[in-house]
Amino acid sequence: MAQTFEPNLIGFLCNWCSYAAADLAGSNKLEVPANLATIRVMCSSRVDPIFILNAYLRGIDGVIIAGCHPGDCHYQTGNYYARRRFALLSKILKTFNLDPHRFRLSWISASEGQRFSQVTKEFAESIQKAGPNPLRKKPFID
Amino acid sequence: MKGKIIKNSDNINTKIREILESLISKQIFDAVFVPVRVPTGESFTYLLIKDKNILKDCIPLPPIMSVQGARAFKDLTRLGKLKYKILCVMRPCEIRAMIELSKLRQVTLEDVSFLSLDCPGVYQTADYIIEPEKYDKSFSSLLEKWEPEGLRPNCRVCNHFSNQEINSDLHIGFYDQSLILVPLTKKGEEIFTSLGFESTDDLADWENRKNELLRRREEIRNKTFTELHNQTNGMEGLENFFKGCINCHNCMRVCPICYCRQCFFESTDQLRRESEDYLIRTEKKGGIRFPVDRMLFHLGRMTHMSLSCVGCGVCEDGCPMDIPVGQIFNFIGDEVQKMFEYLPGRDKDEPIPVLTYKEDELHEYEDAQETK
Ligand code: SF4
Ligand code: SF4
Ligand code: FES
Repeated sequence: MAQTFEPNLIGFLCNWCSYAAADLAGSNKLEVPANLATIRVMCSSRVDPIFILNAYLRGIDGVIIAGCHPGDCHYQTGNYYARRRFALLSKILKTFNLDPHRFRLSWISASEGQRFSQVTKEFAESIQKAGPNPLRKKPFID
Repeated sequence: MKGKIIKNSDNINTKIREILESLISKQIFDAVFVPVRVPTGESFTYLLIKDKNILKDCIPLPPIMSVQGARAFKDLTRLGKLKYKILCVMRPCEIRAMIELSKLRQVTLEDVSFLSLDCPGVYQTADYIIEPEKYDKSFSSLLEKWEPEGLRPNCRVCNHFSNQEINSDLHIGFYDQSLILVPLTKKGEEIFTSLGFESTDDLADWENRKNELLRRREEIRNKTFTELHNQTNGMEGLENFFKGCINCHNCMRVCPICYCRQCFFESTDQLRRESEDYLIRTEKKGGIRFPVDRMLFHLGRMTHMSLSCVGCGVCEDGCPMDIPVGQIFNFIGDEVQKMFEYLPGRDKDEPIPVLTYKEDELHEYEDAQETK
């Protein structure tokens, strides 16, 4: 079971940096996890914690939010707000002991195709070790 | 601390009314915003009052909180700042919610002054409406005894029941059949002097008792929060906690902080979906419950407003299923507020933590690879 489990991952990628990095990784034929669904957002600050919770409650195994490095946000400060919101969400998840290890925030610039591949692979491996999201088969919890 | 002690104030409502009447007579304020008993007798509402004759019926400190003061106030400044001066007479948690709403730009506090009152807590509305006379009676002795029994659960653990760290202008405390007046701001100082008072009385007795009450409250608070924490461990614990929830969203509708005209969870984006969408979700989960997104609603609401939760407990009071929803929001609010060293309602110029940032902070959340 452990060897065959391919985690379902969602990546919220900011248009200006991390999405471009994913593109670059693709055109350079770098390896990325097979089941990573990417969602392009204009800025990491567009990601409401509800999006992340929604994915989690529906049974997604891991969610990664990626944006421009601090100081490089296309809208100047969006990623600083994104970091605060992510910290807030993490605190809530940790307090209720709700799989905080299934969520990750990373900064990946447009030129970092290599880093994109490495970060997502690393994330997929850690989720693989953690196993599937138990909420997947819980119809009463949504 | 110094202030003014008014002795022999066994009926506090009467004494406060006199003060309010005098403020209107002296034209310090054009109107006051204060709770009044409704004519049928079993409930209370806020009234904006200009007329001194109607002011005679106000109950500044009612035994229940049928509506949160900040929620009631909201409509007043929908179109911008007031064109007259008012005094809001509220419990501390209501003023805190007002301050939070001003930070969220839902109310404008220009020309609004606050009179806060020592609050021993409120009864649960559902209990009160069955035996109003009994609760009216026991409420009058509550200010002497300050017993937690029978109160709204959040009031039993409240640690901001007086003038503790609050953005109010003038405070009235109660002690030993006396009214204790303490100006807290420059504005409050002006109101205070206009009433002909001077800060000459020593308030040590009142303060000592307040600190003793606080110590007792903190004890219950810590114990309760530990229990809540244990009860809500993991999704199983959380689901068990909310097991009776019918997803009616009443808790959100009565909450003073939840201001969105249309909540995300009731938005067309969230609710008008193609039927296939639901079927896809069913395939993955085996089935989905309707109405949808119940746990998402609670956890999502926590991410949206817990930093500003004032722990008033009206959500729990309004829950038809007796879910301890106010307690869990109070608990998680306390956790996230401590994390950002934030206290709602402490200072109107202190920004809500998600509406501000520091460049160099929270690095422990970047690339964090928590392992199970
Ligand atoms: S969540 Fe409940 S306790 Fe917190 S402010 Fe809203 S109504 Fe009050
Ligand atoms: S907690 Fe109570 S008020 Fe809130 S949605 Fe559930 S049943 Fe309704
Ligand atoms: S535009 Fe990339 S994080 Fe804001």
